[in-house]
Amino acid sequence: MKQGKLIGLLVLALLTSVTRMASQARSTPSAATVTFEDITKKSGITWIHNNAQSAARHLPETVGGGCAFVDYDNDGWLDIFFVNSGTSDFFTPATPLRNALYRNNRDGTFTDVTVQAGVTNDSFGMGVAVADYDGDGFQDLYVTSYGRNTLYKNTGKGAFVDVTNKAGVGAPGWSTCAVWVDFDNDGKLDLFVSSFVYYDKTLNVLCADEQGRRYYCIPRHYKPSPSRLFRNNGNGTFTDVSADAGIAAFPGKSFGAVATDINNDGWMDLFVANDTMPNFLFVNQAGKKFEEVGLAAGVAFSQAGKPRSGMGVDAADYDGDGWQDLFVANIDYEFFSLYHNNKDVTFTDEPREIAAATQLLSGWGVRFFDYDNDSDPDLLLVNGHPDDFVEMHNARVKYKEPMVMFLNTGRHFKNVTESSGAVFTKDFSGRGLATGDFDNDGDLDLLVSNNREAPLLLRNDGGNRNNWLGLQLVATKSNPSAVGASIRWEAGILKGTRLKTAGGSYLSSHDPREILGVGSALKVTALEIRWPSGQVDRLNNLPVNRYVTLIEGKGPAAQK
Amino acid sequence: MIAGKYYHLIAIWLVLAPGQTVVVPRTRTVVVAQTNTDLINRLETAATLIRDDKLVEAERQLTIILKSNANQPDALNLLGAVRAKQRRLDDAERLFSRAVTANSSLISARMNLVQVYLIRGKPDNAISELLEVLRLDPTNAEAFDKLHPLLLSQKRGDEFIKLIEQAKTSRAVSSSLLISLGDIYLQKRNAAKAEENFRLALDQQSDNADAILGLAQVAQLTGDRATASAYLDRAKKSVVNSAGTLHRFAIVAWEADRYEEANLALTQAIKLNPKDPTFYVALGNTWLKKPDLVEAEQAFRRALELQSDNPQAQMYLGYTLFLQGKYPEARQQLEKSLLKQPNVPQTFYYLGLISQEEGHDQSAIELFSRTLQLESSFADIHFALGRSYLTLKNYTRAQEELELAVKLKPDDPKAHYQLAVLYARLKDPQRSQQHMQIMQRLEEAAKSPKKPTP
Repeated sequence: MKQGKLIGLLVLALLTSVTRMASQARSTPSAATVTFEDITKKSGITWIHNNAQSAARHLPETVGGGCAFVDYDNDGWLDIFFVNSGTSDFFTPATPLRNALYRNNRDGTFTDVTVQAGVTNDSFGMGVAVADYDGDGFQDLYVTSYGRNTLYKNTGKGAFVDVTNKAGVGAPGWSTCAVWVDFDNDGKLDLFVSSFVYYDKTLNVLCADEQGRRYYCIPRHYKPSPSRLFRNNGNGTFTDVSADAGIAAFPGKSFGAVATDINNDGWMDLFVANDTMPNFLFVNQAGKKFEEVGLAAGVAFSQAGKPRSGMGVDAADYDGDGWQDLFVANIDYEFFSLYHNNKDVTFTDEPREIAAATQLLSGWGVRFFDYDNDSDPDLLLVNGHPDDFVEMHNARVKYKEPMVMFLNTGRHFKNVTESSGAVFTKDFSGRGLATGDFDNDGDLDLLVSNNREAPLLLRNDGGNRNNWLGLQLVATKSNPSAVGASIRWEAGILKGTRLKTAGGSYLSSHDPREILGVGSALKVTALEIRWPSGQVDRLNNLPVNRYVTLIEGKGPAAQK
Repeated sequence: MIAGKYYHLIAIWLVLAPGQTVVVPRTRTVVVAQTNTDLINRLETAATLIRDDKLVEAERQLTIILKSNANQPDALNLLGAVRAKQRRLDDAERLFSRAVTANSSLISARMNLVQVYLIRGKPDNAISELLEVLRLDPTNAEAFDKLHPLLLSQKRGDEFIKLIEQAKTSRAVSSSLLISLGDIYLQKRNAAKAEENFRLALDQQSDNADAILGLAQVAQLTGDRATASAYLDRAKKSVVNSAGTLHRFAIVAWEADRYEEANLALTQAIKLNPKDPTFYVALGNTWLKKPDLVEAEQAFRRALELQSDNPQAQMYLGYTLFLQGKYPEARQQLEKSLLKQPNVPQTFYYLGLISQEEGHDQSAIELFSRTLQLESSFADIHFALGRSYLTLKNYTRAQEELELAVKLKPDDPKAHYQLAVLYARLKDPQRSQQHMQIMQRLEEAAKSPKKPTP
């Protein structure tokens, strides 16, 4: 949505606000009028993912790659990063492959700055996690790979340098999702890295159909490997604390991971989706270690006791009861999981409307986000089957699949895919998903990375018909990303809460800012930030439809 | 009684309503006295006229006879046939009855009476007449053929058994009757007698698919899966293009967990007889097993197109919709099914599962309890109850129900899983782990890879 249209829409919102307030506890705009426009071509993004597909069907080929919204040059406009495959023990590209960094031109177009930024990389990339790990005010990149991961430190001068070795976070093997989270509340961002199976080209199992065609094997055939947790030493180095923290004791086949606080104790927990294995719920024991409670919590298996093919994950308080709920995207016929938090470290899987819509889908990117600015988190699923031959043996399941959008109706979700834009009628080999307001118009746009095809940049048109307040949280004592901050706001009769989670989705990284939807309210009457450090900041009567920078313990800095 | 000469009368067709044709079969014989030439001639003439549909003239001939002898049984029988052709069934029944009263051995009148009873929906009267015919003429094949489906339809299996077993001592019984007899013994779970009769049927026709399938069912009844499977393979070579036999094959294949073959047989049966909702219900169940919920849903919906109030189709459609997460319509179909079949435990069970998925565990418990009232040995119910109690954090009841579930169904990994969750929550990691290990062992044992294994 262009900002020029905003004034007219604000007038409209004002005129209709009286009616809305009288009839609805929550302001619910006509979600059908919020659509997403595919502007990829217009934006100048030409990069295409190369999955290195081979006749041998090596498993890493089909699971990448990720994407990120990242403001790498601190100009207040989100730039875009894509992860590509690359050289590995089973793949030597004819010409070197590279990741892609696109700088935002602030007019809906982007310029490829990958080479000058120094983030081409030729490893077999998987995902990306963005954060200012060293607190220097610039966003850094951690790129996971099949092979060796890379930590790119942002120099602040439009470029990055590879500091992996110095930092000690190379984590060889097959890493998938990474999460920057301050697990011990020491004000520094630590790093959790999901590991998939033990794999190299000699371990590739032959899975073939009757005609001898090889297809991507079910991960059941491979051995699980333990994920890693790196503690930030605060001096540019990290210490692998996987064993001491209790993470290494649980080898998995991990894809998506999200950091959230499932028991409201102020310590960030980790929920990790595993493929063909039980999911892990690592509950943080006051920053000392983690206790894996997935089984007792009811999030490890299906209700029938079967491990599912967990891929993408996310966490949010979707029903506004103050407790973080969890979501896992699984493979076709397994149903996706919506775990409602029972407030006692147990969950109940209640997919309801989502179950019917996802029966035949395989989900990767997943995100709770308030796309219509009515204050509650809606849900987007990015899908695609990992087996490119699936249609030959299953008439119901497709390799490329549509995205699915759900509107939060309070306690439940309503499928609004058909009314969310023409792009939702198309099929993709979807993998990564990042949300962010790349055009700074106050509604969340989408970035989708597809396997072996072009990515998608989808502009939100209509989400900012409802009013909003954008927050850029700047920590002084807490971790630089303010991960774990709890935000509460009131705007008229509307009340919202949000925990600043980290990770989630699949191989991707979102806009670090928070957009608080306030419906038709004309100001945010009360705003409370509970920082991970314990600091509580309260502000009143904030004007809407703008971004504000809030500094921990100090309040608003400057208005963008 | 007139004796010595036999008149084979024509088949009499009654058209009861447009498109509905019912046959009054050939009256077997009319016995007349050779000494009364005039009477014989008139009866023969009347029979010919009836055959030629010249009913008024036939009636005139018969009236002449009856004027001189109002209870002449053959004339009464033929006049009854005239009335039947005129669709005057009350009169026809009365005349056939008078004929039988006048001559209790007049089998043709009894057979005509049977036909009228059948047309008029009086199966018990028809059975009585047929039994009397067989008492008079134990070799009457037509009476046999009519009686056995009637007895079966009236759930008078014991009488059928008695009838056929008696017949077996005095005459050759057709293979179809022997198979029917075997089927009844199967229903009574008398494997030995069932096998005996299927084998007798096979002695008559060595490639009789129904008999072979019957033997497969006997093997299934006795738990001999290997033998059942062998018979099923043998039947495959003999299954003819009969929808009924294909349906039977599908049922046996289903029991043998050979769902693909069951599916194919039912698909073929439906090609031969696309109007039988039972076939679609069975087909839907094979799709459920594959599983292909979309195809299953289509099959059950097709059954309901053919018979909109088929409670089985409604129940299974409801279940299929439940599996797809389409809870509101699933509930609607199950509730419709209950209207016609209010005491089917499965229906309450499925409704309970929907409540459970919708987060209404208290309602689910009530529905599961209703299921138990109807079917106390329904093992899955205890699992379902345990799961709901677990959700409601009533761990004592959850433990009771889940332990009972694994006792009744020790090979069910689901219950072991729920027990593992329960004990994990009760901080008993050892027992939790035990159940997890059992569950994993069972899962491994049951695992059949969807794709070829490497």
